[in-house]
Amino acid sequence: MKKATVIFCIVFAITLGLSGAVMAKGSVKVGIVLPTTGSLAKFGEIERDAFLMAQEEINAAGGINGLKLELLIEDTTGRPEVGRSVVEKLITKDKVVMIGGGYSSSVTYATAGVCQQNNMPFLVNTGSADKITTSGWTWIYRLNPPVSKYASAVESLLTQVIKPKTVAILHENSLFGTKGAKKFDKTCKKLGFKVVLKEGYEHGGIDFKPVLTRVKQKNPDIVYMISYIMDASLLMKQAKELKLTPKMFIGGAAGFTMPEFKENAGVASNYVISATLWHQVLPFPGAMEFYKKFKARFNKSVDYHGAEAYAACYVIADVLKRAKSFKNTDIKAALDATDMMTVFGPVKFTTWGKMKNQNKAATYVVQWIDGKLELVWPKEHATKQFQYPIDWLKVWGY
Amino acid sequence: MDVFIQTIVSGILIGGIYSMIGIGMTLIMGVMGIINLAHGQLMMVAMYITFVMAHFFHVDPYLSLLVAMPALFLLGAFIQKTLLNPLIKVESILPENQVLMTVGIGMVLTEIARFIFSSDYKTVKTSYSSSAIFIGKISFNVPMCIAFGFALFFTALLFWFLLKTDLGRSIRATAQDSEAATLMGINSSRITVITFGIGSALVAAAGVLLMPIFYLFPDIGGAFTLKAFVITILGGLGSTVGAIVGGIVLGVAESLGATYIGMGYKEMVGFVIFVLVLIFLPGGLKRLTKI
Repeated sequence: MKKATVIFCIVFAITLGLSGAVMAKGSVKVGIVLPTTGSLAKFGEIERDAFLMAQEEINAAGGINGLKLELLIEDTTGRPEVGRSVVEKLITKDKVVMIGGGYSSSVTYATAGVCQQNNMPFLVNTGSADKITTSGWTWIYRLNPPVSKYASAVESLLTQVIKPKTVAILHENSLFGTKGAKKFDKTCKKLGFKVVLKEGYEHGGIDFKPVLTRVKQKNPDIVYMISYIMDASLLMKQAKELKLTPKMFIGGAAGFTMPEFKENAGVASNYVISATLWHQVLPFPGAMEFYKKFKARFNKSVDYHGAEAYAACYVIADVLKRAKSFKNTDIKAALDATDMMTVFGPVKFTTWGKMKNQNKAATYVVQWIDGKLELVWPKEHATKQFQYPIDWLKVWGY
Repeated sequence: MDVFIQTIVSGILIGGIYSMIGIGMTLIMGVMGIINLAHGQLMMVAMYITFVMAHFFHVDPYLSLLVAMPALFLLGAFIQKTLLNPLIKVESILPENQVLMTVGIGMVLTEIARFIFSSDYKTVKTSYSSSAIFIGKISFNVPMCIAFGFALFFTALLFWFLLKTDLGRSIRATAQDSEAATLMGINSSRITVITFGIGSALVAAAGVLLMPIFYLFPDIGGAFTLKAFVITILGGLGSTVGAIVGGIVLGVAESLGATYIGMGYKEMVGFVIFVLVLIFLPGGLKRLTKI
């Protein structure tokens, strides 16, 4: 009896395997790892939607040299250990030709390690901790800039316009937040600003008043915050409650550029500036169309996260089209030779500094002006004049 | 000095809400002897009810207490009657079948919420959401103060109910010794249903009160289940007074930790207290208060 069951299982497994292989004949499989559940699900959903939108367009335009591009989107739930296991599954069971996606630095770092071990090309599009591309890994490519470069546009704005003397840094104590804060701390020292307070916090808190009270006591010229979305709006709301009024509130991308930030923080979001990696008005072909299409289809506006995913999908398609075969070494050769224009800007993977296979992307500064996210820096791309100085109490209606 | 007072004020205010979350759990714990690990998820359901009421029918969040609390009472009673009580009768290797069941219920609730509302962050915006009263240099967040007031009110109401009404006495009797209570003619399975309902209604109230201050997404429940668990252990299993004190102690400790040790260690402070209580005061604050 038992033997029969075992044999049946084996036969069943073989049939399944065969049918899988037959089904895959007309398509080329790419694994995408994103957090579609868990507390980071919001970002994962935006990127998933952008990926699927790009996939449809690519397949409608003929796919990969006649083959259909098939994206297998796996949920990392925002946890590194789950990320590792889903990537292992994609590589060994689904036999994908390459991996894309990668949201949240900690998860991406863990999944990138698995890809490197298995010689699997991985195109990261959001995970931004520096060490993802500074670990000497040869199979990992990154579309977005590393977190240490996020603030480069903010730096020039600070030195040229705001000229602060003292700075307070608040950051969530994740890999992304900690590394970003450390880097900004160094930058401030280099530029001669005094960092009066540098404090990490746990993501998902209700009450930030204790730490904001301490910031208020130090009375810094600028408050620099690296936060995911809801922490960002709670921080601003509670800063308003405490009448914390530095010369400027600056967000280090992530939460501060999301439409939900404005909706939730309300008036407290007004005139806050943030570093960002993308804005729809940038002169990249298709940027504005992508923004409009996404908005029309999903009824929500999209920020740099969506643009990264959308661009990544086109890069993947481009790489697969140019690859001689779907063998990992051929795909890697095609990735190395990538030189294309996307909605996210030019994409080319090079080795610079300690970075390996890292795309050089510019960063920008945006400001929330009367409920709209306007590009204010660098000046040549600006859609609106940078609003400064600001009387916060008046803006907040005290 | 201002910093210290502000810290204590924030801690006490948030502690009021923690207490309400904890009371519901401790009540269920006392009567049924199990930890309800779907507690935070039930709160999440109540928060979605508040969100729907506010978003589609423009009902003030505080008025939705009148909807969310009865709705969650029914949901809680339903869960107890149809999902948890039948498990008592089943013989199994694990005596904690019901606890495992609550974990499953929590997951189902979370995924249903994600299915209906997606993972988007939702908030209810009110004119008073971020308004604050200043006394001297100390700011009092208005919705937090209101929430604290409600927490006191519901706790007082619960006490009156447990001490003065027949049903309340039956609940206490079942909590003390369910077999003896059954012998005295109390229908103990009905009591467990009602208790689970009341526990759910209380955590629903906490959820509604949190809504103007905080935000909402399907996975919000887990963190609060954990908070409730810590409070229940801190206060002593099944002790209502313990839960109130435990909630406030946790709130103040977290606040002090955030100010003087570092915001990143806020959660750690809570768990250090948790471990210390387990080591030095097993049985929690109940051992001191005796209620």
